[in-house]
Amino acid sequence: MAPLLSVRDLAVQFKTRKSTIRAVNGISFDLNAGETLGIVGESGCGKSVSALAMLGILPKAGRVTRGEVLFEDVDLLKLPDSQLRQIRGNDVAMIFQDPMTSLNPILTVGRQITEALRKHLDMSKSKANEEAVALLDRVGIPAAKDRIGDYPHQFSGGMRQRVMIAMAISCRPKILIADEPTTALDVTIQAQILEVLKQLVAEENMALILITHDLGVVAGTCGRTNVMYAGRFVESAPTRKLFAKPRHPYTLGLLKSVPRLDAARKEKLQPIGGTPLSMTSEIEGCAFAPRCIYATEESRTKTPELRRIDSDDHLVACWNPVQEQDMPRIEIVAARDEGVAG
Amino acid sequence: MSIAEAEVQELKLEQPSSLGRDALDRFRHNKAAMVGVVVILLLVLIAIFAPLIAPYGTGEQVGVLDSSNPEGPSSEHWMGLDEQGRDVFSRVVYGARLSLLVGLVSVTFGLSFGFVLGALSGYFGGWVETIIMRTMDIMLAIPTLLLAIGLVSLLGRGLTQIMIAVGITTIPIFARLLRGSILAQRESDYVLAARSLGVPGRRLLMVHILPNALAPLIVQATLVMATAIIEVAGLSFLGLGPAEPGLPEWGKMLADNASRIDRATHLVIFPGAAIVISVLGLNLIGDGLRESIDPKMRS
Repeated sequence: MAPLLSVRDLAVQFKTRKSTIRAVNGISFDLNAGETLGIVGESGCGKSVSALAMLGILPKAGRVTRGEVLFEDVDLLKLPDSQLRQIRGNDVAMIFQDPMTSLNPILTVGRQITEALRKHLDMSKSKANEEAVALLDRVGIPAAKDRIGDYPHQFSGGMRQRVMIAMAISCRPKILIADEPTTALDVTIQAQILEVLKQLVAEENMALILITHDLGVVAGTCGRTNVMYAGRFVESAPTRKLFAKPRHPYTLGLLKSVPRLDAARKEKLQPIGGTPLSMTSEIEGCAFAPRCIYATEESRTKTPELRRIDSDDHLVACWNPVQEQDMPRIEIVAARDEGVAG
Repeated sequence: MSIAEAEVQELKLEQPSSLGRDALDRFRHNKAAMVGVVVILLLVLIAIFAPLIAPYGTGEQVGVLDSSNPEGPSSEHWMGLDEQGRDVFSRVVYGARLSLLVGLVSVTFGLSFGFVLGALSGYFGGWVETIIMRTMDIMLAIPTLLLAIGLVSLLGRGLTQIMIAVGITTIPIFARLLRGSILAQRESDYVLAARSLGVPGRRLLMVHILPNALAPLIVQATLVMATAIIEVAGLSFLGLGPAEPGLPEWGKMLADNASRIDRATHLVIFPGAAIVISVLGLNLIGDGLRESIDPKMRS
């Protein structure tokens, strides 16, 4: 069976007057119905831009330079905007990072939720309103019926993000892209929002792409995780394996730089040294090489492609992958593993 | 009552029912703005009921015609008589009609054209924007009064022509403001979110972008109305006012009597004060609106 979504060699560039920024440099992945995929990476590595490119809503300066985004075997990048609009919100929907600014301040939440319903499903006003109440109820907004006429500023951040989710799932999309959905929220609210997302994905057999910089978020939510660096995927594995046996030095670095409550008191956090490369010039060799203690001569001259390592579902783009003895301690992994299973 | 219940109640108290009402609430609690509202309301009432308030007609000669030494204020003529023996109070009262009309018409004119031009350039961008905005820049480069003078000499000296001329000078202000506002809104997160839901372009503009971009325009309109009144008065003072003789335009009254300022101060003070008060009222309202609508001031 062909996957629901298949992204092939997608590349995005931003042209500014002075330079060209290579934001995404050829990423590929498949997504099946009901699957949850995490895309993890630091700020500016191209996570959000990839998502915007898939939906054809890149900012003006951005341009897809190559690649395909096959949704149910149709290349979204080749569709005219009018047809793409039918897919946006209807088949593929997106949730954004900042719930404080992602809702129109002068329209009631009811009006904003019904907008997609009325457009895509051609519902009558009263029917759409009923549906909006049901949706708000579903994402856990108490007294949904009374809140439908409220304005965004009358909701708290967590509640607004729930409203955003309600908007995004209103037409029962097959794919939900969540771009840092919990970054702007308190930790307790984060957990609630992730719970809502997980539940929806399970109930609707929706595929979820969760974009985040927070390893803790993917750990409990995603079946598979892709690690992104400088516009490329550097490692892709089932989340459980990725945390247990990270093979790319960058993934290992990310795991080591997460503060842990169970760490020994004197143990220091190990940040990744250096800063990401400027993405304005063509990168020769592995983009992570300048910050990598594992880098070899090959890393600096030849760009590594994703290839299988250990097993069929574990891919890594590295000339000198992390060896067993450098991997994180087992007891930490066990704690993580539980989270993945739950 | 438990603490949680008390908190819930407090939250409810703090929740006004709509954004507009929220802004209105803040506006109502702004003392300066309320003073402005009272002043302008009074002015509007005076304008509407001018025939009932003014004891005499605007051109009616009720006293001695003495151009060198007009009669000062008295219990019979509160603001005295002018050089042609007309009652100044009646003329100032009728003048309110003219000034409000001038402010309203020229701002409406400037706002409508500025709105269309600003929306076009903000939405389409590209060469449409370049042509429109550079034209606006050229207009802004010429001092407003100078531009108005030029336009009046081009259009003629009737009251209508003057209102149009002043209106034209305000077009670039509105066009630039709306364009900037649209550009800012277009990049906002909620517009991106709406696009991700498949909302088409025209609907994005009409339902999402424009209504959000309008607030600064409303504020500006109030402030520009004040400038328009001053500008028309200024044009009159320079001798480019309405050609109709005997028209009780405040600026024209100032101009006619500027030479008598040492002998008959009342002829200059009263119309001058009328201009100052109405402009002040509008400015107070404008500032109050700005403070209550501006999202940054929102609590």
